[in-house]
Amino acid sequence: MNRLPKLIIWFLTLLFIQAFVLDPMLLGVPFVPFIYVLLLILLPNDWAPWVVLLTGFFIGLSIDFIYVSGGVHTTACIIISYARPLFIRAVYSDTISPQNLKIEQESFGELFRYAVFVILVHHFFVFVFVLGSTERIGWLLSAWFTNSLITILASAFVLVLTRGTRR
Amino acid sequence: MQKLLNSILRNGTLLLFILLFGISFRLTTKNQSYQKSSFLAFNNSISAPFLDARHRFFSYLKRQSHNDQLIAENQYLLTQVITKNNKAFLLDSIPFEVIPAQIIRNSIHLNHNYLTLNMGENSGVKKEMGVITATGIVGVVNNTNAYTSGVISLLNKSLRVNAKLKKSNHFGSLYWDGNEPNSVILSDVPLAAKVVVGDTIVTGGMSAIFPAEIPLGVVSDAAVPVNDNYYTLRVSLFQDMTNLNQVYVVKYTSAEIIKDMINENE
Repeated sequence: MNRLPKLIIWFLTLLFIQAFVLDPMLLGVPFVPFIYVLLLILLPNDWAPWVVLLTGFFIGLSIDFIYVSGGVHTTACIIISYARPLFIRAVYSDTISPQNLKIEQESFGELFRYAVFVILVHHFFVFVFVLGSTERIGWLLSAWFTNSLITILASAFVLVLTRGTRR
Repeated sequence: MQKLLNSILRNGTLLLFILLFGISFRLTTKNQSYQKSSFLAFNNSISAPFLDARHRFFSYLKRQSHNDQLIAENQYLLTQVITKNNKAFLLDSIPFEVIPAQIIRNSIHLNHNYLTLNMGENSGVKKEMGVITATGIVGVVNNTNAYTSGVISLLNKSLRVNAKLKKSNHFGSLYWDGNEPNSVILSDVPLAAKVVVGDTIVTGGMSAIFPAEIPLGVVSDAAVPVNDNYYTLRVSLFQDMTNLNQVYVVKYTSAEIIKDMINENE
C-alpha cells in the first residue's frame, strides 16, 4: 500500500480513538494517553520540513478542537514538528544515510527510544501551556511524568500491535 | 529585493514555524479569556454534530450509572421539596424555571475550563444563565447557538460566584484556584462569621444567574491571611465536577427586571 493512504488511515484511526475512547471526562480519569503523538513520530523522514510543520499544525488543531483546549496541543505539535530532525539525529546517529531512513522499518528498540524522546518533549510543552504560569510547578512535573508514562506504555502497545502493518 | 527573497526562501521553514507557532500560541492565550471566546463559540457550532454522536454513544454505554445519578438527584430534590413544605424549591419569591440539558463536552485539566451543553437557543438557553445540578453549580452560559451552548465551568479561574455560609448568611466570593477539581476557595468572608470546618456553603443569590441556597459544599479548611480581616476558606464541593452528565439551566422568567434592579442599586 502507498504510504500516504496508510498515513491517512493511521490519522483517522488514532483521532477516532483519541476522541471517542481516550477522553478524560468519558473515562472519568484525570489523565489519558495522547496516542495521537504517534502520528508525529511515524511521519515519513523524507517529507519536506514545511510539509511536516503543516501536518503537525493540522494534527494539533484537530486535537484542540476535540478537547476545547485552545491551542495547547497545536503549539506542542508545532514545536515537535520543527525539532523532529534533532530527535532523529539523536536516536539514529548510527544510520549512514539519514535521508533514506524509514523510521517505521527500523528496529523496535530504536523506534521506542525515539518515541520516548518525542513523547517526553511533547508532553512537557503541553502541560507548560496548560498551566500558562509559573505557579504549581509540582503539579506540572507530576502531570508531565504521569501522562508521559501512560502515553509511552500505550504507544508501545500500539507499536507492537501494528508492527506488521507498518512495514 | 533579490536578497530579501533569497533570505525568505533560505529561512522558509523557520518563518513558517514562527507563523504557525504564533497562530497556535494566540489560540492558547485566547482560550484563557472567556470574554474573547469567539473561537470557542465557533468551535461549538462546528463540532456539535460530532459531539452529539459521541455523547449518544457513551450515554448508551453509561446508561446504568446515569440512571443511578438521576435517581439519587430525584431523591434529593424530593427531600428538599418535602422539607420546604411544598414551597418553591431554592427560592420563594422570584419565579424561575429550569431547562434540562446534558453535557456533551467537558474539560477539567486546564486553568480555564469550559463545557458544552446539548441545548441551545431553540430550547430557551441564553447567555449568562446559570447551570446547576441538584448538588451544586456547574457554570454560567457564555455563548449559544440554535442547538448547543458553551458554558464557563466553575473550574475556570476567571469565574467568580456569590456564595454564603448557610448558618450565618455571611457572604463571600467563590472561585477555583486551579488546583484540585473537587475543591474551591471562598474568600472575603468576615471574621465575625466564626467559621468552623464542616460548615455548609450555599449560593448567595445576589444575582440573576443562580438562585439562593443551592448547596455547594462544606468548609474543609479555614485560614486568615496575615494582615487580613477576612477568612479564606477551602470548600469541598458536593458536586463531582469530573463526572457530570445531567444538568439544569436556570431561567429566570423576570431576569431582565432583576438585572435592572441590581444595576439601579449599584
